[in-house]
Amino acid sequence: MKTILKILLILSLAVSADAREVKLLNVSYDPTRELYTEYNAAFTKYWKAKTGDDIVVSQSHGGSGKQAQSVIAGLEADVVTLALSYDIDAISQQAKLLPANWQTRLPNNSTPYTSTIVFLVRKGNPKGIKDWDDLVKKGVTVVVPNPKTSGGARWAYLAAYAYALESYGHDDAKAKDFITKLYKNVPILDSGARGSTITFSQRGIGDVLLAWENEAHLTLKEFGADKFEIVTPPLSILAEPPVAVVDKNAKHHGTTEVATAYLNYLYSDEGQEIAAKNFYRPRNEAIAAKYAANFTQLKLVTIDQEFDGWTKAQQTHFADGGVFDQIFQPQN
Amino acid sequence: MKINQLLIAIFVGAQFAVAALADDAPTNSTEAAEIAALKQEIQKLDQKVSDLENQRQTEQATAVNPDKDQIQDLDQKVRILERERELDQDAAATTAKTQPKIVLGPNGFGFSSADSNFVATLHGLIQSDSRTFIDDGGGTLGKNTFLIRRARPIFTGTVFHDFDFNFTPDFGNTTVQIFDAYLNYHYNPELQLEAGKFKSPVGLEALQADTWTLFNERSIVTDLAPNRDIGVELHGDLFSGAVSYAAGIFNGAPDFNGTTVNQDVNDNRAFAGRFFFQPWKTSSVVALQGLGFGVGGSYEVDHGTNTDLTPGYRTDGQQNFFTYSSGVFADGTHWRISPQAYYYYGPLSLSAEYLISDQRVTKGGISADLQNTAWEISGGWVVTGENASYNGITPKHPFDIKKNQWGAWQVVARYADLNIDNAAFPIFATTGSASEAKAWSVGLNWYLNRDIRVNASFSRTTFTGGGGTTGLGPITSQPENVVFTRIQLAF
Repeated sequence: MKTILKILLILSLAVSADAREVKLLNVSYDPTRELYTEYNAAFTKYWKAKTGDDIVVSQSHGGSGKQAQSVIAGLEADVVTLALSYDIDAISQQAKLLPANWQTRLPNNSTPYTSTIVFLVRKGNPKGIKDWDDLVKKGVTVVVPNPKTSGGARWAYLAAYAYALESYGHDDAKAKDFITKLYKNVPILDSGARGSTITFSQRGIGDVLLAWENEAHLTLKEFGADKFEIVTPPLSILAEPPVAVVDKNAKHHGTTEVATAYLNYLYSDEGQEIAAKNFYRPRNEAIAAKYAANFTQLKLVTIDQEFDGWTKAQQTHFADGGVFDQIFQPQN
Repeated sequence: MKINQLLIAIFVGAQFAVAALADDAPTNSTEAAEIAALKQEIQKLDQKVSDLENQRQTEQATAVNPDKDQIQDLDQKVRILERERELDQDAAATTAKTQPKIVLGPNGFGFSSADSNFVATLHGLIQSDSRTFIDDGGGTLGKNTFLIRRARPIFTGTVFHDFDFNFTPDFGNTTVQIFDAYLNYHYNPELQLEAGKFKSPVGLEALQADTWTLFNERSIVTDLAPNRDIGVELHGDLFSGAVSYAAGIFNGAPDFNGTTVNQDVNDNRAFAGRFFFQPWKTSSVVALQGLGFGVGGSYEVDHGTNTDLTPGYRTDGQQNFFTYSSGVFADGTHWRISPQAYYYYGPLSLSAEYLISDQRVTKGGISADLQNTAWEISGGWVVTGENASYNGITPKHPFDIKKNQWGAWQVVARYADLNIDNAAFPIFATTGSASEAKAWSVGLNWYLNRDIRVNASFSRTTFTGGGGTTGLGPITSQPENVVFTRIQLAF
């Protein structure tokens, strides 16, 4: 018995002597702070138990477009977890840090969870906002981030545009007119979703915030359901925020294996539960059913259906001189 | 108000009417009809009063809401403006982190990248001198002249925090030279590695910056010290600067080579090093904080070259009083040793140096080890009370006539002696070379501010040996008396 114990002790010492510390940098979009705080704790515990190695995950958050540009400019992310695939495509095309087919490497087009855009209004909904049409009325102030920098803002813009297309028989001119009226009611553009949340909830500006669904729930949690309420429009867009290993950076840091495992774990039961608890719609059907009460059912249109994909949408609406540049005039 | 009064009057009147009518019972049908009609009137009046009251309340409510809406509107506008300002400040702070910084001040024009990985500063040194040879009876070859003694743009900087560089060309006198061109890796203050062209670590006076020498020209002691050389040197400051060391391998420089070269023309290498001690530098004994002493030296072995021989030893007036004759070669060991010390205490500055340069020379099959020696002692006193230092003086009250401020003033004096080995004569020395030169100097330095200095001085050099009318005779046959002036800009 003593001999066995000695052997076990020696083996455990050998394992711990080989344990190493691995550092990962996750460059993410703006509203995922709480999600990844919880997820990182879970993953590091899982990885430690599996391999004995200690993982230290550093996070960077900001508008998805800005974050992508930071990685292109040299921020050495091991993984990116951004708001839309176009931003990760930009990293692939401009900086050649990961292959063009990155989205095929993980399930569900590398989107372990989805979300959508909802309305966050003041308690009592004093302006009676129920649908996208209410956002273009005179006297309604809308808070939404800048689609040039924020992924959430691009989803919100496209959700509104999609609503207009659906309402006006896919008449682009009328949809453009609709979106013009909506952005006439936007007095200020933050660079990211979290900034807009601050503008609306802490600075008291606006009647309605076009928010990521998870961000709206988090705001209710933080400020109390007596200050705000969520209005889910009957139609919105299916937002699919993707994740990817940044191959060249991970290879340079020697973190490819850990980075891959880090993203794979998002699809595990624990990863999906954490997503759901943080108000992201999980891909796992069983867990989605478990948390169904958190998520209102609505009609979700996709970017492929309405806009022929991100590349076309980016070019048409958000590139320099695109529709957004044509219709948005800053107020004041 | 009037409508209120009317309403109250109608209401009270109606009440009285009702009461009066209630007390008087009807006596006949006509009266009953009248009463009924009156009752109807009263009811109508009552209704009118209610309507008027409601109207009044509605009007009041309507009068309040436009103000409330306006206030809310203004409140939103103010919040939006404040938020825009907040976002602009955030954006400016983010932009500032990526913008290069530019600085212009008494230490030059500097710029650095936002991350401080690239820092560069442009300094400058301009010395505009005059030399006037007096009482020379036309005998010396010294020419009275104005001259640009030094004109240097000095580029210094640091890349990636640990790598310093210096590039200094000089356009003064009649030649254009690269004076300094080196890279210094400072792992920490104690351990640094320097490579390139820079001052050889031997002579105390030679190592002092050109900006801060007491007189226009260094003393004749520095004639025996090497000037700038090309090589690699390990150096550092230990114990918070109480001990400084430098040790390097170089191409090898002759005694006082006024014009430096950028490559070697032989296979010889020279070793040079120096230790300098300031044991009380950080002590509480103020009177000893400025005391420093040390020793520098060099060693090389030359093989039949004349490029390792000095082009000549010069007076303060920059006239050669000794040169080697034609056909002399450096051929053997050449070593130098220089014990040295300085002392600074308040306005007092004192400096002393002794230097031996021992070199084996050969001419026509005849060889000799020539040991030339020199020593000097110099001192100064800042009469305006500022502290003197090896690295200059900063006036407490920079020159400004309007404020009646006159900068800092310093009186200075020096005595130096250079002795040529007798074995140099007559074979190895040019005709007319002196065997000894003694020089004393006095002067006045005016530091207008940290960047501008004006000085005037007088130097007299007397010679032993030499003389005659050939070779260096015209120079050494009588004392040299020179008045110097200088206007200096250094930043």
